Amino acid sequence: MSRLPPLPQKRPHPDSQAQPPSLSEPERKLYELIKSRTNMGIWTADMKKETGLQNNVVTKSLKLLQNKNLIKDVVNVHNKGRKYYMAVEFEPSKEVSGGSWYADGNLDTDFINILRRMCVKHIEERKVATIEDVWKAIVASRVLKVECSMQQILEIVRALALDKEIEELKSTGVGEFSNVQAGKICYRSLRGNQVARAGYLSTIPCGVCPRISECTPDGVISPKTCVYYNKWLKLDF
Amino acid sequence: MKGQLSVKNAYCFLKERIGRSRLSTLAVAMVGQHGINLAVSLITSHFGDLVAVCPLLLLPSFSPLRPLRFLVVSRMQKICGCLLQRGTLSLQEIARATELSNPQVKNGLLVLIQHNCVQAFSVPRAAGAVKAVTQYMALFDNILHRMRFSKLLAIVREDLGAQCETLLEGLLQHGRLTFDQLVVRATSKKPEGRLTTPLDIMDETLSLEKQAMRAAALSDAERFSEIMSTGTEDSDVKTEDKQDVSVGAKRKFEVLEMDEEVQATITENEVLWRANFPKFVHCLKKKVCVENVRSRMGLDAGVVLEAIIESSDEAKDNSVKASIDCILEAVRGKPGGISMTLEHIRIVLDQLGCSSSTEDCNVFYTMELQSIIESCQNDEVESLVLTRYGKEAYRIFRLLIRKGSLVETDQISDITFVEKKTAQAILYKLWNDDFLYMQKVISIGTGQMQHFLWKVEKDSVWELVLNHMYHAALNLNLKIAHIVEQEHEVRQAQEKREQLRKSRMILELSLLKLDDALMVFHNF
Repeated sequence: MSRLPPLPQKRPHPDSQAQPPSLSEPERKLYELIKSRTNMGIWTADMKKETGLQNNVVTKSLKLLQNKNLIKDVVNVHNKGRKYYMAVEFEPSKEVSGGSWYADGNLDTDFINILRRMCVKHIEERKVATIEDVWKAIVASRVLKVECSMQQILEIVRALALDKEIEELKSTGVGEFSNVQAGKICYRSLRGNQVARAGYLSTIPCGVCPRISECTPDGVISPKTCVYYNKWLKLDF
Repeated sequence: MKGQLSVKNAYCFLKERIGRSRLSTLAVAMVGQHGINLAVSLITSHFGDLVAVCPLLLLPSFSPLRPLRFLVVSRMQKICGCLLQRGTLSLQEIARATELSNPQVKNGLLVLIQHNCVQAFSVPRAAGAVKAVTQYMALFDNILHRMRFSKLLAIVREDLGAQCETLLEGLLQHGRLTFDQLVVRATSKKPEGRLTTPLDIMDETLSLEKQAMRAAALSDAERFSEIMSTGTEDSDVKTEDKQDVSVGAKRKFEVLEMDEEVQATITENEVLWRANFPKFVHCLKKKVCVENVRSRMGLDAGVVLEAIIESSDEAKDNSVKASIDCILEAVRGKPGGISMTLEHIRIVLDQLGCSSSTEDCNVFYTMELQSIIESCQNDEVESLVLTRYGKEAYRIFRLLIRKGSLVETDQISDITFVEKKTAQAILYKLWNDDFLYMQKVISIGTGQMQHFLWKVEKDSVWELVLNHMYHAALNLNLKIAHIVEQEHEVRQAQEKREQLRKSRMILELSLLKLDDALMVFHNF
């Protein structure tokens, strides 16, 4: 009596504890191991070590499990070259995926840059804005197709403050802060007002010289013969 | 006087507590090798000029006798270097370390003392011993002030006028002068009568004297009453500080033995005048703080800060305090301050982070300049990181400075939006160059995992940057000297000479700017 293998769409609900009926021994072993790692996933080499199965058996079984839609491969941001597997019912943890700013194991720089530009624009328009103001303005603009939480906007704004594009300060409630309640944290644009001041040491060749530790007054590398100085001063004779 | 006594007291106290040899090591450790090199280089170049009347020193660089020039200059260099390297020493110890004869060392020391680069003081030899030992200590800060004479003259010119600048110029050129010498020098320099009578000068300079020099002059009178004048340190003859300055002329190095006539004019109680460097440091500190606040918080904040600093007595531990009336008066006296209302000034004072208190029905505002100075220091180091390691490293470094505690790699990567691998590489590079402190932590959970925690240890990074600045300043000085030599060599080629002149100006300007940053880390 032959029994048709169950189609993936007919398999029991993922939350159900019942074992999939048609798994071979190695498949069952691997599936249980992968499932036990929940949202952290497991690396193929670790699977081989823990189950003691042969290389080709593991590869074949993983393929079958994937075909049965029981497991999925995920990219681990820490080791993009390693193959990690996870049971389909789990979403990769922050440690594995890198968090909400990562897509397929890579930092979603395009999305981040769009958000950065939007935040700076709204802060510049309002002169002084709280995080709620910036978030509401971004949501109201309907530029983004995906939803963005206030926490995400706050992370972007804090990074902008680290870049000295904007500054974080406490409202005094008067003057330019009149729209913000006194004592509340708000943000102000620094563009045009103050750019990152060029440090004096970094403006001379010695400040950024890779050979400074070998430089002595009368040594092989010395200020008298320094090529960086001559280049800086355009002394070519 | 207070300042000088405190130096002496501090030395004696330290000597008792930690012993002589360790004290010497301490002096070196506080400055750093590049700082010492810079100081020695300044002494070499400045006293090379000062003793220029010696014919050997005027020889062109291609002359076969040129190397002899260094015999004269190197004596000062040796003595100064020896004191900076080894700490406080007696005359005999200096002679032994430098392999110079006692009179040579004595002459060198007299020049250095005259120029406030060396401090001499007596230390009782032992309990019960009658004779005292004279010790000599290099004054590192004063030596470095030689690099910023043009700045000091500019301050006096702006605040007090050209006449006061002339007086100060004399003091800076000759180290210390009697009042008569000051007057003669000033009047002979301006024969057209801008400086009419000594009384006029005294009147006009009274504020300067009061504010900047009185304390220093008094301290000199007492300080040098203890200096032994003879070559043997056991002598108990008390004399005044020796002078070899003939006013308006260059000093003669080899004729250090005093002209009897000049000596006769200096009585034992004659007051010697010199520049009050702490006051100048205070003025420069004010300038730096006001500039920083003006750029960050606007013109009004700059005016109010300048007013509070000027209204208060000299800053103690970088804290200034003044009554609202004094601040208001000072603000009104400034361009741009006349239109500011009392209410506006109060708001700006709050924005500056001043704390207010009431004493005798007067409201006083206290401002901590330390936070502004720290902001300047942060700017300098962050900017160095930005130029050397790039924008992402700058963001990471600023995060770690702001946090001030250990932060884990992943957390750093998340907050700064830097790819995890890139963040690791940047952190490693910064750690490798001593900009960061790293701590490895092993967590035991599902398996053993290594975590790396990072932190900016401000003290060590600041010291690293300061040393780097000393090295850069030394290099700028050496490059300037080298270009000056080249300028002499290409005297005929007009185009090359012009190019060298422009280069020298760039270097000199860079040195002035770098010195501003150096003071933020060392003097303020």
